[in-house]
Amino acid sequence: MAARGVQQLKQVTSQHEGFLRHAGFRWLKIALTVSLIAIVIYAFDDVQPRPNGGSAYGYFLGTVGLLLILWLTMLGVRKRAMTTGRWSLKAWTSAHVYLGLALIVIATLHTGFQFGWNVHTLAYALMMLVILSGIYGITAYSALPRALSNNRGETTQSQMLDNLRMIDRQLHDAAQPLEHAQAEIVRMSLDDDPFGGGAWARLTGNYPRCGTRRAQAAIRAYTGGGPNLGDNPLEKIDVLLERKEANLSRMRQHLRLKALLEVWLYIHVPLTFALIAALFAHVFAVFFYWG
Amino acid sequence: MTFIVRQISRTADGREIIRPREFAQAELSIGRNTECDIHLPDLAVTLRHAVIRQLGPSRAEITASAGLPFDVDGRSTERAEIDAQRGANIRIGAHVIAVSREAERDAIVLTVERVGEVSDASEAKDEARAFSLAGSLPGKRTMAWSFIGLVLAVFLAWPLWSFYTNSQAADRDRPIAFHADEMWSSGKLSLVHAQLENNCKACHAQPGVAVRDTSCVACHDAVHDHADPRRLAAAMVQPGAGKQVQLAFKSAFNVPEGRCVDCHTEHEGATAMPVTAQKFCSDCHAQLKERLTDTTILNASDFGTDHPQFRPAVRTSAMPPVVQRLSLDARPIEDNGLKFPHNVHLSKTNGVARMAQTMQVDYGFGKSLACADCHVPDPSGTRFRPITMDQNCQMCHSLAFDRIDGTVRTLRHGDPKQVVADLRAFYRSTGPVRPINLGGNARRRPGDFATQATAARFSFASATRTGRADPAIRATFSEGGVCFECHKVIQPAQSGTGTFGIVPVKLPDRYMRKGWFDHAAHQTETCESCHAAPTSAIAGDLLLPKIESCRACHGGETAHKEVKSSCAMCHDFHRDDAAPLMVRNTRERGRRVDPSNELKAIRRDEG
Repeated sequence: MAARGVQQLKQVTSQHEGFLRHAGFRWLKIALTVSLIAIVIYAFDDVQPRPNGGSAYGYFLGTVGLLLILWLTMLGVRKRAMTTGRWSLKAWTSAHVYLGLALIVIATLHTGFQFGWNVHTLAYALMMLVILSGIYGITAYSALPRALSNNRGETTQSQMLDNLRMIDRQLHDAAQPLEHAQAEIVRMSLDDDPFGGGAWARLTGNYPRCGTRRAQAAIRAYTGGGPNLGDNPLEKIDVLLERKEANLSRMRQHLRLKALLEVWLYIHVPLTFALIAALFAHVFAVFFYWG
Repeated sequence: MTFIVRQISRTADGREIIRPREFAQAELSIGRNTECDIHLPDLAVTLRHAVIRQLGPSRAEITASAGLPFDVDGRSTERAEIDAQRGANIRIGAHVIAVSREAERDAIVLTVERVGEVSDASEAKDEARAFSLAGSLPGKRTMAWSFIGLVLAVFLAWPLWSFYTNSQAADRDRPIAFHADEMWSSGKLSLVHAQLENNCKACHAQPGVAVRDTSCVACHDAVHDHADPRRLAAAMVQPGAGKQVQLAFKSAFNVPEGRCVDCHTEHEGATAMPVTAQKFCSDCHAQLKERLTDTTILNASDFGTDHPQFRPAVRTSAMPPVVQRLSLDARPIEDNGLKFPHNVHLSKTNGVARMAQTMQVDYGFGKSLACADCHVPDPSGTRFRPITMDQNCQMCHSLAFDRIDGTVRTLRHGDPKQVVADLRAFYRSTGPVRPINLGGNARRRPGDFATQATAARFSFASATRTGRADPAIRATFSEGGVCFECHKVIQPAQSGTGTFGIVPVKLPDRYMRKGWFDHAAHQTETCESCHAAPTSAIAGDLLLPKIESCRACHGGETAHKEVKSSCAMCHDFHRDDAAPLMVRNTRERGRRVDPSNELKAIRRDEG
């Protein structure tokens, strides 16, 4: 009975294993074996005067690398059809990750450690960038979701946005009696796009021209001098801006984490296609100025 | 003069609520102030923003009150006249006031509606997109296509254009500049080919065709084959499975086997052309005799462990001349026509040494002769200047035979007939010197017997002297004579009638023409450490060191010896009279010291 219990527990946990641990690190083992074999053959392949991509083993590694890259790219097609079993999407992703990492070894050995300012090294550099962005992606996926959830607390994205809207309406109402110049200050906050600032602001969480912060500073220039008598609409606006800023900063942190989680794909995917184009040019050049 | 103001607001589900108000006055104020006739709760609007005044039944004028403009039909202005019949849209802040006319009631209708949101956050957004990075970056698909386009344009189309403009250019040499097809180069060319860096076409004559030997021999027209190509093919090792697969691929991709570039790989970086690795030689030569059964070349694969004994070309007979390649193990005796004992000349105690001492000032000899006194390196330092009678022998081995008024007459070296003629002339033309007591002016006195005897001997001598030439000639060429001392003399066929001859001397400038030995590279050694000259008593001793002597320092390419020596150190694939590439490379790198200084040092030590 006890044994069965353990077994059941195992089954339950295995259902939750991620793509990295898929099938007991099967693809990690395969990738390590492939890399090791490639290194051993490289070590014993006596190419004169020095190893290069144009040797027999060099061509072999190049062909393997090229086919591997094309297959790895197919994940983009494959992930749009989710299945289970031996060739499940999880298995496929696991293979994608580990074989992609093995590509570092295969392609580097293919170069024979000869680099230059040419289309060949361009293809290698692009491939390394794609792999590095992939490594970043895996790291981000393992670390960031927790941070994202912690930051968001119990609220959803819509709730965050609704909060902002509510504060904006209150600001708008509270500012009605104001003179035009003061109303303009409030509008700095209202017209500020909480999603604005561009990709850099998203990734760094740095919004130097934040309208709300500037508005609050300006309002305080009015209210800072005198005591709070409770009848000054600017005092209420100050409080509202304070609340808005707290909300904004939480939302911006949320946007930052989401951007960090997403940004690698904006490098990984387009550079993959740049890589395939560079590989085409690389192979074309080799056959054009043929050995 | 009537205005009808219709304020439109919307319920949460989007339904319109219209609140009409009628103003029987000619002027309406517009602003954020609640006291305005048209109240716009909009922070972009000033408290009293504008005034609209009716000018006629369908004409109105709108004027800004606070100096802030508004839009009329999309145009920003501070005053505008409006034809209500035609209609107009006035935009102030987030509100639009549509102006129209209602003819039945003879009124100008102002329809007021808020069109802008209270704040940017309140504007309708696609949330999925707004919270994602997608909103702030160009799409992945767009970027992917742009990158593909960029890479193909720069790294494919541009180099292709560059290649075709070059192939259509009339002159062969491309101007020195950046050419886009250089981006396809897999690496720098070797130093000797650096000037071709600009010109891919020089080797890659046709696109898609592997580099052929015709490109190489276009410049390298003097390089010859290693051996007869058919014999070379027969000597090759049968390809193994892996090599056969390679060959199959090569033939499938139209890459012929056995091209120059198989060994002379290029684009390996701006370095010197690499020397041939030992493996390339031993592939064929390790078991050459098994495949090429009729060859005279012995198997060799490694200098340290598998290399035959040296087989110098030795002149085994001077007359008639016979030259044979013989192994040093067979102790060959050389017959160069000369009699020369090295031991006598190098002795430190005998007459030769003594004589050298007397000539110290004139010839710079030491206390005895040293090797370098006769063997002077040639300008390359590799070998030595030829030994000649003039330079090396005659300062001691004089051929003088007569002195006339202080002028010494010598026999002509190298010309036996001239020697014979000179000797005959000597005995014929000059009689004995007339004794001084036979002077013509002396008065004869009776009883001067001594003078008479002198006169009688003198006249006898004068009469008989010519007859002494033949014995003198014989003596010269025979044992104890000046020629015989060093040379092998050919006796006349018939005694007394024929002339003497000398077996011609032939000292080889190179014993081992298939290999290369550089004396200058061995200046760390003394001559005697390799050549056993001080103990050699006859000229026939071959003083060449055996391979064992070389192996004291030299091992194969991978040996743990003082000097790792691959085949290329002594042999070249395309062998000619120049030093092997490896030696030439070493010299170019300036590793060699100045040979003249070193030789002087050796001379000093030995002197």
